Amino acid sequence: MAGDFDDFDDKEATGVLELSVEILAQLRAKPSSLEMLSGPGAPRVVSLEKDKLVFGRSSQVDVHIDSLDLSRRHFMLSKSENEWQCEDLDSRNGVFLNGLRIHSAVLRDGDHLQLGRVVFVFRKGR
Amino acid sequence: MSLFVKFWGTRGSIPTPGPRTERYGGNTPCIEIRADDQIIICDGGTGLRELGLDLLRRCGKQPLTLHLFFSHPHWDHIQGFPFFVPAYLPANTLHVYGASKQDRTIHDLLSGQMESVYFPVNFGELGSRLITNDLDTTAMVGNVRVTAFRQTHPGDSLGFAFEHDGRKIVYSTDHEHDLLLPDPSLAGKHPGELRPIPEEMIEFARDADLLIADGQYTDSEYQKKIGWGHPRATTVVDFAVRAGAKQLALFHHDPMHSDAEVDTIVALCNSRAKALGSKLVVFGAREGIELKL
Repeated sequence: MAGDFDDFDDKEATGVLELSVEILAQLRAKPSSLEMLSGPGAPRVVSLEKDKLVFGRSSQVDVHIDSLDLSRRHFMLSKSENEWQCEDLDSRNGVFLNGLRIHSAVLRDGDHLQLGRVVFVFRKGR
Repeated sequence: MSLFVKFWGTRGSIPTPGPRTERYGGNTPCIEIRADDQIIICDGGTGLRELGLDLLRRCGKQPLTLHLFFSHPHWDHIQGFPFFVPAYLPANTLHVYGASKQDRTIHDLLSGQMESVYFPVNFGELGSRLITNDLDTTAMVGNVRVTAFRQTHPGDSLGFAFEHDGRKIVYSTDHEHDLLLPDPSLAGKHPGELRPIPEEMIEFARDADLLIADGQYTDSEYQKKIGWGHPRATTVVDFAVRAGAKQLALFHHDPMHSDAEVDTIVALCNSRAKALGSKLVVFGAREGIELKL
């Protein structure tokens, strides 16, 4: 067995270490999420594991929410350079960020998104 | 057609990166207004750099015609300009509007910060077509009517009203309303009373759908900063209420104010508006937010 370690040079050791750090980081990584505080099925957590997700009442969207307060395609979340942006897709009842009606916004940890009576809180991943 | 407003920089005086200011943002003043196919930019603080990069992402190689309005040439309002990539591209046209200072035109004021002692790239090397306009009263940008208003600030500043298709946005930063009150000391004695903002200023902002206004200081901070060119946030609420504005975006956040402190000022201002019997909505201007009016 000792011979096996003798063949294990510094370059390989560095490679193994880098791989271990990467695996550890992946294990510790937590995706950003939207926690539904009120609305159908609340409490519920939507993990943001795709770079683009459409939310709405339609069954054809990425995140279906069975509420008449929502338009069929209500809003979209998209990720760019590790930041999440929310955009209203011309919904009927609008998107309110911490009480302010917005067209789009870069989200920060703890932000509240309200769509009629449906309320989410944004949690930034790591 | 709708009017879109996006905040690219909301901080006053100096950029403030870091966790204390992450939510409202640390870049200095820059706002984008879109109406039909017109792109209007208010001020060229450090937020202008990000806007420039975003315009390239959005528009690709398509030639751009941009209209930049400068409230005044203090550092925090022009510092992003040398880093504004669209200004370097020959296909683009930039119309620049601002007020002359003594014998210095807006062209002189902008180019001064790009002299070789301050910046490695000379102003003459900007590849875009640059058209500067000294603006004192009104201008048309497509179907957007722009009115300029002279404000109270060391060295003066301009406020701008943008009107399009029955909607109105007023951009009024670096304006010390409190110096114009007939007796500023009375406000301290009767802090809850509606303050008498000058009538011509009220007319300028009359019925604005969105008033973006400098609200840098709390009442107590202001006592030590009289004459520095910025108002009390509470006085700006009175300005908005008197003008009948629908929404007030508190802007030019003090570099010492954390996100939590801005939240406190916003809450106080909403309470003041309510106590005055107004339906005004007050919020803190925040980097990355876009409104549709």
